[in-house]
Amino acid sequence: METAELKKQLKEQIVKFLNLLSVKPEDIKDDEPLFGEGLGLDSIDSIELIVLLSREYGIEIKDPKEGRKILVDVNTMVAYIEKHRTK
Amino acid sequence: MFYIHKTTCISPQQTFSAVDIEHLNEPVNNKFQAVEPSYEGIPPGILRRMGKAVRLGVGAAMPLVHHSTQPPDGIIIGTSMGGLEDCIKFLNQVIEYNEGMLTPTNFVQSTSNAIAGQLGLLSKNKGYNITHVHRGFSFENAILDAAMLLKETPGTNYLIGGVDEISSYNYNIEYLGGWYKKEIFSSKDLYTPGSVASIAGEGAAMFLVNDQSTGAEAQLKAIHIFQTEDIATVGNQLRQFLEKNLPAGEKPDLLLSGENGDSRFLKYYTTCETLTGNDITIARFKHMMGEYPTVSSVAVWLACEIIKQNALPQHMLKSKSPDRDFKNILIYNNYKGLQHSMMLVSKAENQ
Amino acid sequence: MNRVFVTGIGIISAIGNTLAENRLSLMEGRSGISKISDNFPSKFAGVLPFGEIKTANSRFKENLNAKEPGITRTTLLALHAMEEAIKDSALTTAELASFDTALIGATTVGGMCLIDELYRDANKNEGGSEYLSSYDGASVTMYLQSRYNINGINNTINTACSSSANAIMYGTRLLKNGLAKRAIVGGADSLAKFTINGFNSLYILSPDACTPFDADRKGLNLGEGAAFLVLEKEEDCAGKKIYAEVTGYGNSNDAFHPSSLSENGDGPYRSMQGALETARLRPGEIDFINAHGTGTENNDEVESKAMIRLFGHPPAFTSTKSNTGHTLGAAGAVEAVFSILNLVYQEIYPGLNFKNAIISTGLIPIQSYTTTLLKHVMSNSFGFGGNCTSLIFSKA
Repeated sequence: METAELKKQLKEQIVKFLNLLSVKPEDIKDDEPLFGEGLGLDSIDSIELIVLLSREYGIEIKDPKEGRKILVDVNTMVAYIEKHRTK
Repeated sequence: MFYIHKTTCISPQQTFSAVDIEHLNEPVNNKFQAVEPSYEGIPPGILRRMGKAVRLGVGAAMPLVHHSTQPPDGIIIGTSMGGLEDCIKFLNQVIEYNEGMLTPTNFVQSTSNAIAGQLGLLSKNKGYNITHVHRGFSFENAILDAAMLLKETPGTNYLIGGVDEISSYNYNIEYLGGWYKKEIFSSKDLYTPGSVASIAGEGAAMFLVNDQSTGAEAQLKAIHIFQTEDIATVGNQLRQFLEKNLPAGEKPDLLLSGENGDSRFLKYYTTCETLTGNDITIARFKHMMGEYPTVSSVAVWLACEIIKQNALPQHMLKSKSPDRDFKNILIYNNYKGLQHSMMLVSKAENQ
Repeated sequence: MNRVFVTGIGIISAIGNTLAENRLSLMEGRSGISKISDNFPSKFAGVLPFGEIKTANSRFKENLNAKEPGITRTTLLALHAMEEAIKDSALTTAELASFDTALIGATTVGGMCLIDELYRDANKNEGGSEYLSSYDGASVTMYLQSRYNINGINNTINTACSSSANAIMYGTRLLKNGLAKRAIVGGADSLAKFTINGFNSLYILSPDACTPFDADRKGLNLGEGAAFLVLEKEEDCAGKKIYAEVTGYGNSNDAFHPSSLSENGDGPYRSMQGALETARLRPGEIDFINAHGTGTENNDEVESKAMIRLFGHPPAFTSTKSNTGHTLGAAGAVEAVFSILNLVYQEIYPGLNFKNAIISTGLIPIQSYTTTLLKHVMSNSFGFGGNCTSLIFSKA
């Protein structure tokens, strides 16, 4: 899958998984921080995103702290998915 | 006990913002689903995580928590099941993914205290916060709790409310248990004699209460709860309740009866009607709201509304007595023929 | 307002099936937490450590003569503890049946311990299981109500992990407000696939035995248990055995996050402060604290900070969750019983598994059995939804 396509797919998955009612997938910028400023997600969302990576891409992250390094923005997530996906 | 100052209600009828209880919404497939507003007061980032019960409860309470000049000193919620929809979503995950990696949101929102917790969180209310979950006495205990708090600390204010939702799960389980009717019923047919079980309802009613009569909408004068299946006990308890809480020889002006179309429990309601006598008006409300554990909270909301209007819609009337001002309204309700509650809602003294 | 005393106690936990057994385990520093689990179906049984009670449901049903259909493990644990409390207080059948006797239960799991059954019932068209009316929290209390025919105010409280602390507070207030003459108060929870997976999804279950207040703590262990107290008014206590007085209670919401405590611990601070206020005590008069101390990163640090904020130099404290695991809705009542044991026997039990203090707070729990003068003991319970409650028991 092309990186651009993966980015689009991931944004759709994020919106759906986190039920982001007022956000359109295309509104999320590739380098927009997911937590704090930007999308304003919190610690429960970070676990939700870890589950997303597991279910959609077969990536197992055991420690949520490790997750924080991957879940910075769409760019970092996509880079990690491309490297580690098992499905 | 206390004065009711502000009320809100999200129910299957037009009870939120533009109130119109003359018009009657019908149940769909024996379910009275709540008419949900757009929830403008709840930030979308938080709304996205809420299951229906949490939405109903928080949505109904937000105007009271935010628009009041005095923030409540505590939040007291009665809910039999809380966020059951979330509970079930989580349960489905547990089974579907065989206890694998699961998303925590549903779990966190599934605990019954999620409504009161979210309200505390959204309104930054660090005061007293509790959730009563004793099935048909959940809201009744919220009332008792607030009454005690006001005695303990006069001059304080509390938000109290009752909330429950219909989810596909609890509907099915209650249906299997024989609590919902097998044939499809319309609102006007609900009280047709000779049929067992009732129809499902959901909603949230919220009240700002304190010990100040000035400006109050109504007064909650007394409450009594007890569990029994014995008809004589119900009669005795009601007699004592009225003797204790009304001046000698006086009767309530209206009996708001929780009759629910279940022929097995009609006897309790007729006992009350006999006791209060045929010279008072009798009204019913479950053809508007359906049956659920905290529906008595909506009965209190309706009582406040009737006192405010000094009138009630024709469709609520079971029998009408000569015109009297609605000053004292007796609410009698029972849940599943075991949990009985009696409440006296009166016009506030200075009105 | 009336003074309220504890005149009967019943308890079951991973460290004992009776009050006496629980005390002995506490004195000996015994833990009931292990990876051997027999009584609940979950993928995690045998993998993660739990504070399981080693009695099977069939044995409980036999012993308690509770053979009606639809009884859940949560109800059995509650009944077991209730039976001991009622016998202990010697309440008569007539007293129980009086309209002046209140019953206040608490649970978070309730009948949700049976999620496989619930799943099946929810998807069936006809012929439900025996558990159709057992899935909610109220079913636990309602079984006890009908079994003992308790006719006064009945209630069930669910404020997550502070549920039964609130039940004790609510019952005490019913007595003080004259709405009941006596109250049986407490709570129960059983180990359940639902909560195990819930806490696991939040990454707060420890792979090893929990280490409350330790710098390297890895999370909590779930446990199961039940405890009930009989509360009576001072005027009715003449000639009765009195364990302790319920003197303080404070309830506050942390209003910060659905599943974790704020950095400053406003909720815990305010609940402890509220308990001191109702008891009319100064912070320096608290001799010991049975802390909430779950062993999670968030709780233990925040609770420590709140204790330092309120007390300056906090009194001696431990978390008995290192003995029993976190019994959720039962925890407040279980730990109230332990606090009362502290007072009755003037002793402090060792906190287990502690090595190094949390750097930011430096607080060290008591680690050995100690006898000392104790007048006032505080017990903390904090839950999801920001629900914080603190209780104070005083030497009678």
